[in-house]
Amino acid sequence: MRGRRVDPAAGARAGALPEAIAALSRSLPSGPSPEIFRRAKFDRPDATSALWQLLFRVLSPLPAGSALASIALEVQARLVKSALCSQGYPRLALAQLPEDGSQGSRELLLALSWLLARGPVPEQMLAQTRVPLGDEMTVCQCDALASLGPPAPHMETEGPVDVRHVQWLMGKLRFRWRQLVSSQQEQCALLSKIHLYTHGCHSDQSLGHLSVTEAEMLRDPEGGQQVSGVGAAQNLDLAYPKGLHFCTPGMGPRTFWNDLWLVCEQPGLLPGDWAAPLDPGGASACSLLFPLRVLLRTLEQENRRLEAVLAWRRTELVFWQWMDTVLGTCAPEAPAAASQPTFLPWVPECGDGELELVVRELQTLEEELREAAERRRVAWEAKARGCGRGPEWSATRRASQETVEKELGALQRRWEQDSGPAQAHGPHRLVRREDGAAGDRDLRAAELIRTLRSQEACLEAMLHQLQGQCRQELARVAGALPGLIWIPPPGR
Amino acid sequence: MSIVTVQLGQCGNQIGFEVFDALLRDSQSSHGLCCKRENEAYQASCKERFFSEEENGVPVARAVLVDMEPKVINQTLSKAAQSGRWKYGQHACFCQKQGSGNNWAYGYSVHGPRHEESIMNLIRKEVEKCDSFSGFFIIMSMAGGTGSGIGAFVTQNLQDQYSNSLKMNQIIWPYGTGEVIVQNYNSILTLSHLYRSSDALLVHENDAVHKICAKLMNIKQISFSDINQVLAHQLGSVFQPTYSAESSFHYRRNPLGDLMEHLVPHPEFKMLSVRNVPHMSENSLAYSTFTWAGLLKHLRQMLISNAKMEEGIDWHVRPPSSGLPSLGKKSLNKDLHFNTSIANLVILRGKDVQSADVEGFKDPALYTSWLEPVNAFNVWKTQRAFSKYEKSAVLVSNSQFLVKPLDMIVGKAWNMFASKAYIHQYTKFGIEEEDFLDSFTSLEQVVASYCNL
Repeated sequence: MRGRRVDPAAGARAGALPEAIAALSRSLPSGPSPEIFRRAKFDRPDATSALWQLLFRVLSPLPAGSALASIALEVQARLVKSALCSQGYPRLALAQLPEDGSQGSRELLLALSWLLARGPVPEQMLAQTRVPLGDEMTVCQCDALASLGPPAPHMETEGPVDVRHVQWLMGKLRFRWRQLVSSQQEQCALLSKIHLYTHGCHSDQSLGHLSVTEAEMLRDPEGGQQVSGVGAAQNLDLAYPKGLHFCTPGMGPRTFWNDLWLVCEQPGLLPGDWAAPLDPGGASACSLLFPLRVLLRTLEQENRRLEAVLAWRRTELVFWQWMDTVLGTCAPEAPAAASQPTFLPWVPECGDGELELVVRELQTLEEELREAAERRRVAWEAKARGCGRGPEWSATRRASQETVEKELGALQRRWEQDSGPAQAHGPHRLVRREDGAAGDRDLRAAELIRTLRSQEACLEAMLHQLQGQCRQELARVAGALPGLIWIPPPGR
Repeated sequence: MSIVTVQLGQCGNQIGFEVFDALLRDSQSSHGLCCKRENEAYQASCKERFFSEEENGVPVARAVLVDMEPKVINQTLSKAAQSGRWKYGQHACFCQKQGSGNNWAYGYSVHGPRHEESIMNLIRKEVEKCDSFSGFFIIMSMAGGTGSGIGAFVTQNLQDQYSNSLKMNQIIWPYGTGEVIVQNYNSILTLSHLYRSSDALLVHENDAVHKICAKLMNIKQISFSDINQVLAHQLGSVFQPTYSAESSFHYRRNPLGDLMEHLVPHPEFKMLSVRNVPHMSENSLAYSTFTWAGLLKHLRQMLISNAKMEEGIDWHVRPPSSGLPSLGKKSLNKDLHFNTSIANLVILRGKDVQSADVEGFKDPALYTSWLEPVNAFNVWKTQRAFSKYEKSAVLVSNSQFLVKPLDMIVGKAWNMFASKAYIHQYTKFGIEEEDFLDSFTSLEQVVASYCNL
């Protein structure tokens, strides 16, 4: 923030600042009015709760929805503090703010601008609230272990906990997990049906079939009419689960199309009639237009946000200039250097001494392996010398050479796959196509499945190994106690 | 979400038929005490779960029938077809010409592996017909050879091939004075194997159901068909559609999953039993009225005193008063036969169901110390009445109900085992003495876990 150079020429135009702040406010979802920003500069208390809520929206990992709105302000404030802390926010004053929204709007403004300076926040928010027209699936091949959050605070339990209660809760989690898998399988089956039955319906040839949202819009125009105050994007979200279950289990293609065409076969919907003047009694004539209108409205909204983001990027210099003045009005912070480590994410100390130890160990291991390999080679050659040199011998030799090469090749490919460039990441539209028709930039499901399967095999092998270690450890512990009989739990 | 039923052996097939029949008859009945739209939603939900649609509109049960003798399967298929309302799939059954001779080892080690591929193929076809598949319901008896041995084998296979799907085994507990000499061997082998591969064991005791037929239904000559119909009634009142907790506009989509999540998440406690009130013959039903308060009071006492039906309940048994230390509670339980629960699910169906008060089931004294009633107790209420009962309540309970019967069976089997009686019939087919010992160990463990609540 301090590093930004102030360009006097850039913001000299009067009205440039309100424009910039207005653009920023439009580009953020439910962004506060420019007036809030102005009040925050002067640390007015009435601007505080709006800024807490905005920060919560920006920092919360959850997608937007009514659930977020119902969280109490104190909880939101606490979550914002902990999220900023884990990202390394340097100012102490924020952590000390009261959580009831009574004061601290200037600090919150500073925090917001810190976030804005670190990353493309409006663009990220836009991506989050994007309207998905197609059926989407997110592909993420990142190593799951890399995303461990900050360590959970140590919680004291009131009194001893019965282990049976813990086992009970674990069991419940397992059942939920299995139900989740079943639900996902159901979703796949129904999605597949919709894609199959609507093959050939889409105007875009490269797609070829309708998505759930598109099919739902055709089937249930009324659903598109319930425009709540918040925005039409939510209706399409609702359309998704509804649309999926409109294709009920067991439904065959005939029933599917019967339902769909009941809507379209109403008189007055044929293309020729659209030119006819719409009259109040001709509600059926308009019914197909309503969902399209909703979609249009949503897309227009998205466009407006995009334009706001572009406007923000054009004028943001002025904003930073202004933020410098805001920072200037704050009292200088007490030297925070001493307590800074608390706010930075914990980096494990790795001194040189440890590295040297590791290098030495690796070298010893290499030596041992080389010796072992040498010994084996000598022994083998001694044995091989005794064998004949007939044609069978060379055939066997060739066969074993080939196997070894194949295995090495597989290992190498696996290695390259693992350490290769990051695979495609992010949401992808699901499209059902005939084999071989996929484009260059498209991901094939079969390949993804193969990668996932090999990852699964690796993880299972790791699991078995860890289980074996656990079992050995338990046996050792049980063996150390005389008179103890160890009855393993039922299971194989 | 759909449930695929696997009917095994004579017992499994006969009961399976009654269950499907009861489910469909109830869903198509007009005595639902609700509006037409509600009834249609109920019907649709029941159909999605248990039946698939065929071209001519006759529902086809989502079931696979397996038996080593053709007689019972043929009877079952024809009974279903004759009803005209539903039927089994044409190619949904597998049978052979020779039985299993009540030998668990024969069923498990010979029939199982030999016919594994055919049976699993049938099951796979049935699962593929489901757009949304929630799990398996496997009906079998414990004491015979086919149902028990093949049942254990098939459940194990399902565990391997469908590890994410739920599995509930409906087990018929044999008569105490049963005809099969080795029924205790078969029982312990079945139970110990199922405990490893199944998620929930829903147990029905023949003795208990027999008493219900005799005392409550006043049937003089009790046939298997009567017993199976009582069973089917109980299962129907558990599995017919119920409202989901979040909204009372949709029937819940995954009753099997919800039930299991509430009752059997702990791997050591998988034994469930069912109690329902009221239960009577159709003639008496016409002249009876019920209140929710009365029904729930009886149900609660049935739970506490380990009664199997609403007649002959011991009203002296009371929950231990809170304030006693847990040690005292244990000794008190042993004296007064108080049945401690781990978790309970009460399903209420019928008129004015919203006014039913289930506070009596939320008493912490009913439950074990490590689970709060808010987590241990759940209630599902549905307006739509079940099977002509204006009001009906069913309790699915994970509690100490089955500790005594289990202990008895293990004891009897152990006595036989100690004198090596009939063991050679099992070792002949690959079930060694060690397998028996493993079974004894795991079942003793189960008994101990339940006793230490």
